[in-house]
Amino acid sequence: MIQHLADGILVGSILSLGAIGLTMVMHMLRFANFSHAELLSVGAYCALVFDGVFAGVHSGLAQAIGSLSLTWTLALSIIVSMAVTGFSAVAIDRLVFRRVRALGGELSMVFASFGVAMILRNILGLIFGLQAQLYSRDIVFAVMISSDPLLLIKPDQVFSLVAALVFMMILHLVLSRTTFGYALRAVAENPTLAQVSGISLQRMIILIWLIGGGLAAAAGIFYGLTNQINPVLGRDLVLPIFAATIVGGIGSIYGAVLGGFLVGIASNVALLILPSGYSPAVPFLIILAVLLVRPTGLFGEERP
Amino acid sequence: MKKHMRNTSIAVGLAAGLTAIGGAAAAQDCTTKIGAVLPTSVDWGKPIAATAQYVVEQVNAAGGVAGCEIEMVLRDSQVDPKVGVDAAKALVDLDGVQVLLGAVSSGVSMPILTSVTAPAGVMQMSCCSSSTAFTGLAEEGKTKGLWFRTFATTGVQSAVAAMVAKDKGYKSIAILYKNDDWGQDIGKLAAADFAAVGVEVTGSVALNDGQASYRAEVTEALKGQPEAIYLALYPKEGTAAVREWISLGGTQNMIVANSLKSDEFRENVGLQYLGNTTGTDTASPRSASATRFVDQYTEHFGSAPSGPGLSNSYDATMIALLAMEAAGKDSSGEEIAAMVGKVTDPAGTPVSADAEGFAAAKEILAGGGSVFYQGATGNVRFDANGDVSAPAVTWGFSEGGIEELQYISLDEVDSFMGSLN
Repeated sequence: MIQHLADGILVGSILSLGAIGLTMVMHMLRFANFSHAELLSVGAYCALVFDGVFAGVHSGLAQAIGSLSLTWTLALSIIVSMAVTGFSAVAIDRLVFRRVRALGGELSMVFASFGVAMILRNILGLIFGLQAQLYSRDIVFAVMISSDPLLLIKPDQVFSLVAALVFMMILHLVLSRTTFGYALRAVAENPTLAQVSGISLQRMIILIWLIGGGLAAAAGIFYGLTNQINPVLGRDLVLPIFAATIVGGIGSIYGAVLGGFLVGIASNVALLILPSGYSPAVPFLIILAVLLVRPTGLFGEERP
Repeated sequence: MKKHMRNTSIAVGLAAGLTAIGGAAAAQDCTTKIGAVLPTSVDWGKPIAATAQYVVEQVNAAGGVAGCEIEMVLRDSQVDPKVGVDAAKALVDLDGVQVLLGAVSSGVSMPILTSVTAPAGVMQMSCCSSSTAFTGLAEEGKTKGLWFRTFATTGVQSAVAAMVAKDKGYKSIAILYKNDDWGQDIGKLAAADFAAVGVEVTGSVALNDGQASYRAEVTEALKGQPEAIYLALYPKEGTAAVREWISLGGTQNMIVANSLKSDEFRENVGLQYLGNTTGTDTASPRSASATRFVDQYTEHFGSAPSGPGLSNSYDATMIALLAMEAAGKDSSGEEIAAMVGKVTDPAGTPVSADAEGFAAAKEILAGGGSVFYQGATGNVRFDANGDVSAPAVTWGFSEGGIEELQYISLDEVDSFMGSLN
């Protein structure tokens, strides 16, 4: 039980990071972006490339940090990949979503996002191949925290959790303490009124893609670090991330964080009751339950 | 794309027809059609069909079956049950075939058997379907004795896994299996076989494709503290699950199915953790008749038979044609199916797998004798359910890649599987 709970929290942190960007985009641009999870794959592969590049430049950095399998080069790559993925998200918006937004409605955007997801996934498959890849081939052994009840935790997972929490904290400070944060919330509340007050909508949209893409990249890299990287990583995670967003309430960043942890924990704990063959159904069940009981999600507000 | 595929299959069919007509000089003025439903639109399916056609040519060169030229009407299954059933229906209803070769995938062969061949009384011979669901169907009598296959069931692999566990002296084992038809099948069989040799199964956990993490599943399997683990997984989820398993302190005593016979798996898990891994697989027999097949195939096609199911396809076609010969001209599917035992009779006269062998078999059968077909997959013997057994190998990972550890002959496999029941 304790083990499942701990695993749920560790997986949940990855889902939370992914859900934050998704909830922001869904709220601001008013469409369900099915290509958001592909940004996780983009980030993960970006880090794989930069990890190699940095290790080539300075081989001394390619050493594992402490008892982690994370190397200094990969740690550096996380920052670079977040930036690159953020800008890729902006570029995708420029190339596809902005044009569709100008011409079509919400539904066109949803279909466009399916298309973008497929294109991204296949480009990654073409470049990197379909086989699974790893940042490090070494297997880091889990540390036994307690033997009864059994609790095993991998150092990499603890790092991912801490780093995810740090990113979330930074985002929280930015949103609650800066003018940018207020501007963002103003746009989310009422875009027209915000523009009247002198906030540039275009600039806000770019910033949202940057933040969403950056956090998605971090989530993808942490996923790759604790599991493996493959081109369908985004597709595998899209459903849990959507579940987290819906549970938290669309538009609520804090809801997305909580939703991520809830979905992570629920999927893991569900195995205590359900046979493992049914585990992919858990995110669906959560979405259904939330939509039935509280359609706006835990923190969501009804939109007029 | 679809249209293109159909055109291709028509072209292949035409080519097949033309070749048959081309060889007509040796045969008589009547033609008997047999049907084939094979996935010719996928690259590994084409050689399987070409091998079947090659047998037809050899048989026609030996004078055809029961005095008639054989024409194989080939249709593409596209590895799709709906397409396969349509193709089989057309062959049975329009071409009036009494013998149908195919399909490759169990998922395609099954609906063809239940909705086309069995109701119509047509004999079906598959080269490559391995699901034990057919065995169950045959036991219930639903195949009406019309179903045969020259590919060993997954039961062989699970039995060899139990043999390995017993030889290594493992007391307990956990099973991780892929949650699809194949995985569920082999997982269930392996659990029964381990229990039969006295190895306690501490847990059987299903793994789905594309999960965010396999942590929970692996933790579940760890619970029973097993001494060894059996893996019926594919490399993708296998790598993730095994890395998780090892990092959580799970045993490195692993027995794995042939699906993990992959360099990707070896490299991503790391050889240092795979020293105690034993794999299982079915093998082609190390017999003179199997070597002869490789030689004549290489001579005919210009390359060695390396794809899956080629020797099985050869035997499936040859045995079907031998049975037709034994049954005589214008026999029904039931009559032909009843003759399969007569051409694979261990007490009969051995005949080789080629044109001369077929000609020899014709004479023996005409004289009222029975023959023992020495095929590309060895001495094929069907059991009451139309299943065959196969020799097996165990293998391990090494510096150079994948290495064979032990060859287990057909007799050893058969006697071991017999001891399990």
